[in-house]
Amino acid sequence: MQSIESKMVPGLFERFAARFEAERDALIALDGKVGDSDLGLTMSKAFKAARDKVLGEFADADIGTQMKQAGGAISKAAPSTMGTLMATGFLRGGKAMAEAEALDVAGLAAFWRAYADGVAQRGKAQLGDKTVLDVLDPIARAYEAQAAAGAELEVASAVAAKAAADALEATKDLVAQHGKAAAFQEKSRGLQDAGGTVACMLAEELNAFVQAAKG
Amino acid sequence: MKKFLNKPEDFVDEMLEGIYCAHPEVTYTADDLRCYVTANPVPGKVGIVTGGGSGHLPTFLGFVGKNMLDGCGVGGVFQSPSADQLAEVTRYVDQGAGVLYVYGNYTGDIMNFDMASELVELDDIETATVTGNDDVASSVVGEEHKRRGVAGIFFLYKAAGAAAARMLPLAEVARITEKARSRTRTMGVALSACIVPEIGKPGFEIGEDEMEIGMGIHGEPGISRKKLAAADDVVDEMMERIFAETDYAKGDEVAILMNGLGGTPKEELYILYRRVAKLMDEMGVKIRHVWLGEFATSMEMAGFSISVLHLDNELEPLIAAKADTPFFSYFAK
Repeated sequence: MQSIESKMVPGLFERFAARFEAERDALIALDGKVGDSDLGLTMSKAFKAARDKVLGEFADADIGTQMKQAGGAISKAAPSTMGTLMATGFLRGGKAMAEAEALDVAGLAAFWRAYADGVAQRGKAQLGDKTVLDVLDPIARAYEAQAAAGAELEVASAVAAKAAADALEATKDLVAQHGKAAAFQEKSRGLQDAGGTVACMLAEELNAFVQAAKG
Repeated sequence: MKKFLNKPEDFVDEMLEGIYCAHPEVTYTADDLRCYVTANPVPGKVGIVTGGGSGHLPTFLGFVGKNMLDGCGVGGVFQSPSADQLAEVTRYVDQGAGVLYVYGNYTGDIMNFDMASELVELDDIETATVTGNDDVASSVVGEEHKRRGVAGIFFLYKAAGAAAARMLPLAEVARITEKARSRTRTMGVALSACIVPEIGKPGFEIGEDEMEIGMGIHGEPGISRKKLAAADDVVDEMMERIFAETDYAKGDEVAILMNGLGGTPKEELYILYRRVAKLMDEMGVKIRHVWLGEFATSMEMAGFSISVLHLDNELEPLIAAKADTPFFSYFAK
């Protein structure tokens, strides 16, 4: 498979929604260690709303529009900081897609780069601050490297999912600088970042979707 | 805490219900009391939208009305409205000519307005933004982008509203508002703290005989805390900072806003204004317009601020234009 076509995107969002529904309590527990425990709740609400939007009136739209509308739905359903950041990511990623009908490795590289940069800008975060950006940026870099190497979509998405998991593991060594977790500073060391966990799940579900579509 | 309340958590929504009962010329959209809009949008006009936390009446929503603002996202006390509420207000206000966002330079508000602007792009609504940063005390010259927006935003509303009422295009309304922003300076001083209803205690301590020069309208630390001085001396110290940043030539004109923070009576504002007028006169600067009263408060905080807009030929007639809102009426002389 060379690319994800727009008509497949609703299926991708069904996966996202199912994963965050399944991980709701795990994310609540993870976030509760240094945050305010609402991450599981907001992410399950956010991706359910995104799925309904993309499955509904935008099932036949181009990929850029689907991603942007998903972002709009997330913003409405989850007005928390993380919800706003994920909404920004999908809005910016969707803009980078313009009116593309299909998403190949180069397209995914552009999508994730715009996603990560949008989140960095809106959240005023830098790499190493122990935020979602510390996983998003490695995902974008993985797709960029795979696109440059001319890799197949199945290979690229597997490499990116692995990069996300490794990056998430590496957040354990970082100390939180933002949000409520920042108040815990040293105590946050050793814990994987809750926001980064969300980004990792997105890369994993995208990979699982690609592998399933191939089979 | 000694306030007239039913339940502290209903403070904002019950305030809004009261305003809607009293003033049928404003209403709300999206089935959300906090999406505050004019009941009479003008077709084809650039919309002016503001927003910010509650606790500052008449700022922010009080200036929604004829020839000023068209909508306002209303947040909890000292909290930003959500991006989605701002987007809903924008969708209602847009009359095909785009929408200008004018609000104070605060991190949470910036994030939500920027997000709202991206959300309404999905509906093909064009927006532009001017953030008020008139508070001289909140950062030094050269770092103006870090300055907070306080009472002086009134002049931005006035200029933006009058420019939009002339049916100018969005870029032009934004340019004029930006010019008003760059020529507005405010200095404030506080004598007492305010109490956020859901917290129930004063936000900070200040001695009976003390004042804090430069304190923000949410109790942000100012430049100096000292013994309360005579009114003339307080004004001199504040105006010195404003004069230090503006080159006035003899014959230049200004508009002045003498703003009570909530717990200071008009009598005192006039005592203070007397000194402001004298200083301006000594500089050879003409006070073309003055408004005195409560414009941007911090609930029951005692204190006041002086805002000065350095007028020019373009801004003067816009500031002089009539305006009519539930909280501010001005009939051009």
